[in-house]
Amino acid sequence: MSGAVVLGAPEPAPVEPGELTARSRLLGTWRGRFSLSVLGFFIFLAIFGNLIAPDDPTASSLDILAKPSWAHPLGTTEQGSDVFSQLLVGARVSIVVGFAAALISSILGTTVGLAGGYYGGWTDRILDAVENWFLVIPALPLMIVLARLLDPSLTVLIAVIGLTSWAGTGRIVRAQVFTLRERAFVERARALGAKDRYIIRTHILPNTLPLIFANTVIIVAVSILAEASLAFLGLGDPTKISWGSMLENAFSSGAPSAGAWWYVIPPGLCIALLVFAVSLIGYLFEDVVNPRLRDEDPAF
Amino acid sequence: MTSRWLAAKTGAAVLTLVFVLIFNFFLFRVMGDPTTQLARLPNSSPEEIAKLRADYGIDKPITGQFADYIGDTLTLDLGISQRSRETVWDEIKSALPWTLLLVGTGTALATLIGAWMGVMAASRRGTKTDDGLLGFSLFTYASPEYWIGIILILIFAVAIPILPAGQQVDPGIEFSSFFAEALNVAEHMILPVAAMTLMLLGQYFLIMRSSMVDVMTEDFITVKRAIGLPRERVINRHAVPNALLPLVTLAAIQFGAVVGGAITIETIFSWPGLGQLTFDAINTKDFPVLQGTFLVFSIGVILANLLADILYFFLDPRVQAR
Amino acid sequence: MKFGAEEQSGKTTTSGQTKVGMALIALIAAAAFGLVTLPALAQDDTSATSTSTDSAGDPSVLRIGWAQDPQTLNPFVALDEENYNVWSLNWDLLTNFSTEDLSPVPGIAKSWEVSDDRKTVTFKLDPEKVWSDGEPVTSADVKFSLETLGGEGDIFSGYTDEITSIKTPDDETVVITTKRPDARIVGGIFVYIIPEHIYGDVPIKDLTGSYQPDLPLVGSGPYMVTEFDRGRIVQLEQNPEWNGPEPGFGEVQYIKYGNQDAVERALRLGEVDMVVEVDPSTFQRISEDPNIETLSSPSPSYTELAFNICPDDLCPDAERNTAIQDTAVRQAIAYAVDRERVNAISSRGTSTPGAGILPSFYTAFFETPEQNYEFDPEMAKQILDEAGWQDNGEGEARTQDGEELSFDLAVRSESPSNIQAAKVVAEQAADVGIIFNVDVISVDKLTEMTVRFQNGKPAPDFDTFIWGWGGDPYDPSFLLSLLTTDEIGSLSDGFYSNPEYDKLYDEQRGVFDTAERKALIQQMVALVQEDMGYLILTEDANLQAYRTDRIQGVEPACPSDGGDLICEQVSYEPLLAISPADGSSSSSGSDDGGGAGIVVAIIAAIAILGGGAMFLRSRSGRRKDDEPLEFEE
Repeated sequence: MSGAVVLGAPEPAPVEPGELTARSRLLGTWRGRFSLSVLGFFIFLAIFGNLIAPDDPTASSLDILAKPSWAHPLGTTEQGSDVFSQLLVGARVSIVVGFAAALISSILGTTVGLAGGYYGGWTDRILDAVENWFLVIPALPLMIVLARLLDPSLTVLIAVIGLTSWAGTGRIVRAQVFTLRERAFVERARALGAKDRYIIRTHILPNTLPLIFANTVIIVAVSILAEASLAFLGLGDPTKISWGSMLENAFSSGAPSAGAWWYVIPPGLCIALLVFAVSLIGYLFEDVVNPRLRDEDPAF
Repeated sequence: MTSRWLAAKTGAAVLTLVFVLIFNFFLFRVMGDPTTQLARLPNSSPEEIAKLRADYGIDKPITGQFADYIGDTLTLDLGISQRSRETVWDEIKSALPWTLLLVGTGTALATLIGAWMGVMAASRRGTKTDDGLLGFSLFTYASPEYWIGIILILIFAVAIPILPAGQQVDPGIEFSSFFAEALNVAEHMILPVAAMTLMLLGQYFLIMRSSMVDVMTEDFITVKRAIGLPRERVINRHAVPNALLPLVTLAAIQFGAVVGGAITIETIFSWPGLGQLTFDAINTKDFPVLQGTFLVFSIGVILANLLADILYFFLDPRVQAR
Repeated sequence: MKFGAEEQSGKTTTSGQTKVGMALIALIAAAAFGLVTLPALAQDDTSATSTSTDSAGDPSVLRIGWAQDPQTLNPFVALDEENYNVWSLNWDLLTNFSTEDLSPVPGIAKSWEVSDDRKTVTFKLDPEKVWSDGEPVTSADVKFSLETLGGEGDIFSGYTDEITSIKTPDDETVVITTKRPDARIVGGIFVYIIPEHIYGDVPIKDLTGSYQPDLPLVGSGPYMVTEFDRGRIVQLEQNPEWNGPEPGFGEVQYIKYGNQDAVERALRLGEVDMVVEVDPSTFQRISEDPNIETLSSPSPSYTELAFNICPDDLCPDAERNTAIQDTAVRQAIAYAVDRERVNAISSRGTSTPGAGILPSFYTAFFETPEQNYEFDPEMAKQILDEAGWQDNGEGEARTQDGEELSFDLAVRSESPSNIQAAKVVAEQAADVGIIFNVDVISVDKLTEMTVRFQNGKPAPDFDTFIWGWGGDPYDPSFLLSLLTTDEIGSLSDGFYSNPEYDKLYDEQRGVFDTAERKALIQQMVALVQEDMGYLILTEDANLQAYRTDRIQGVEPACPSDGGDLICEQVSYEPLLAISPADGSSSSSGSDDGGGAGIVVAIIAAIAILGGGAMFLRSRSGRRKDDEPLEFEE
């Protein structure tokens, strides 16, 4: 292990100007502050939503599709439940599925990307073929088929979304690793006899992380949309209220035709706001991480 | 050189296609026995179910089934729908043009409008217009397309009922001319196409905008302006065409996302395309149909990707030179 | 060097521009191609033979909206309930149903006679009946239909099980003999009589395969299908050979909308005149429209709470909380659940609370059971106390010898109304110390749990579940058969087994006298009530709505007391009686190129202008707002 000490010091990995600028990007611009506060708000709802909900979101009453009133600030559903309470409680599914699926996706993508990019050769060719194939298979139909096959539950949703959305991350990581692998400091570490695992851990991974992180944030947004779509198609977790399932219930019970805008607009608006905020954070990050974008496009 | 590059790309696409076929087969084998749905049907006996299993060939060993499957697929025999007893290929054939119409029009409009917005934003970088367009397109990108669709229904078919929001043409009418029918179809297309366009718009806008920004900083543009060409002219004549390149390929690459949108949008607007066919097949567990549409979607995406490569190859001389 | 690069790029610019432009034009052309080829393709599939020139506004067309449509018209393989809506207008049964009380009335058969041993029924056919292609309806058609369609049709089998022979001494006589007396032979054979000269020539393998009947669909009913465009429309026109009462509407169209929301919107907008399946949650709201009348009528279907009470000898490997096998527990559940409330919550009050295993729809046989378990939580508690189930306080499961009154209650995720019902049941049972854990699962999983087999014997794996069944329009045998021991391992999903019930079931089947049969059926109902083998929560209703400005002459039928609008899926007679409302005409804005056509034009124009302008601008290179640059030319 003596080699490790020698290797650790000499050439500091060229630090991408990530951390510092990222902070200033997120907190220093109104876009960043706005996105962070929207995300923070929804995370708060995800944790405390069912505590602050005024009514039991699943309690049905005979007051069906009622207009907004003091008792029901956003009216009632086709089952007579309180839309506002459902909205508060529904945040949890979106946040949990969004983040968990993105985590799975980025772990998978990173592992595959690292392995392929670092080892090259046949490993890379095979992994690349698998990646290619996941990239071309249309994501939503694949998710639908898988979700239909398994009995829908939150875990299944997370797994299905995570398993189908990692290929993009794999691609990006692989490309980054390819360039890093040829860099002098990696070459030298290898020449000095460092083990692959060591090189990956100390040199490759740290230099890829910012990129992975930015990409993961964008996948959070994609996952939230995917969960909502699946729930809208009736493939969500039937025991949980989510914004997607609210839209499904509204649509399948004829709420739009009944003019029940109070039931139709809020869930979609929440999805849009959350995805909007998360995407913006993702872009701001990518912008910081990927210097090419930053130099040429000051708008972000 | 050209042919070799093309051959390599095509080869890769074919390889992916083979992967898709194998995957498709096993995925749907795992999905279970399609006859279980009949168990709850009044008057179905075990013998009848056994007979049905033989009809679908699912009583054979798995290798035999696989050989059958590959052979059949290559001859466009995708099986028979369990519900309608029509061949899956017939069902796909009658649904495909409607999906192409919806997706084609939506993509074309999104490309045009997205490009136009992108140019506007890029040439007014940092202004209120830029900010507004950016916010708008990010928001439409973040909104679920079926929600946009429902809102459109709410506005144009419920609050102010001026547009049809179901099916592709008024049913049960004999039209006096082709033109009258086309007009009626066009009327029915407005809302679904609008939803599709809004769904895709954001991406095109963002790409066009950043592509424009890229191009504007390239040397030749700087030189053009340096030799005194007016700004408008430089933008329109030189920057826009070059910036359009990534947009065209994006149109092809985005096909996968479009397919997802087609499923939900067609469902909402009862649009009789592949998306609705898929949705109905999910609900009725019509596996042969589901397998068929899934295959068509996959092939579509593979072809679209190949097309993107080829387009890029011919449109961008920098690739050709390589 | 720099110039070189510029020149290169400059060239690209021009060629790139045209190419990109071409690509976009190609894309638009592809879309346009889709538009152009569509009608041609559509024509291919529809096999439309319609010569009608009717348009949407024609008052003599009855337009009925529905969310889902039949997938095929081939009766041998069809599986959709919607098929009956169409077939019941196109074909007759051997005996049709009375619109008053659904009892047997002449159909293909004009009269019938039951032999003394009740094993032989002789039908005399109606010589006036003619197929829509002009061929006479003969006894051979009846024999073919009962034997082939009754034997092979996926949804028609079972009705002819008891028949041993069908003889046709002449063209107008059919003699049916059965193993043992079977009352279903008159009024209970729900097998349509179809023309042998059409279907008889097709090999049975094709009939049960991918055969699609030619249009117009030859039949003996007042209408015949002339156009079937799956996913869009089923169009029926008057049968030219029809010699019954003149229909008020010359044409009937069933229009598919794909989802409930769109159907109901179409009704409000007047795109359709009638909707056959309204969602309970919008039923009330729809009736608020001054031009729309709603109608709720009973149907032979119910929603039940089933218990896994399979006897240990029949299902040795059943998985369940065995406490459910205690009759006292089930009786307590029946008392604890307020079926009125289940109805109010789960189906918005549109159904009727259940009263035993025979729906009140079967007016000829129905009687409210004596032991009807009216809502009485105190009674429930008392029964449990007496049975030795120890009270552990409010909301806690009662226990006895280590057993706990805590059951899984499975319910299909696809039915919001069943889920609501399950919640009410769980809520109310908890008050008496019986805990239900509501488990929302897919329909596949529920099916799997109920039809599970182990070592060749049924091994149901559940405690309780909520689901539903639907019966035939007149004969209650099917619903009654679900609780027979014979059906265990087949259709029985509650696994009720009582030899006395089985005996009564066999007996009532052979009784042609309605009053006598009713008495037997009442005994059967009472048995199940006493054992509490199956708790019927609600009897479900047919919810329909129609536009009063389009349809007149509506008389509820089937039964005439509180029945439905057109005796859906059962009889065509009521449909003949309704007619276009006076002064009705098209109220939909769906005329060729009306106001909305202008909107199309405007939007198309904007799109073309917008797209075109981009290219034009790049060519003309206007100088209006040119910015001065460093170097002037």
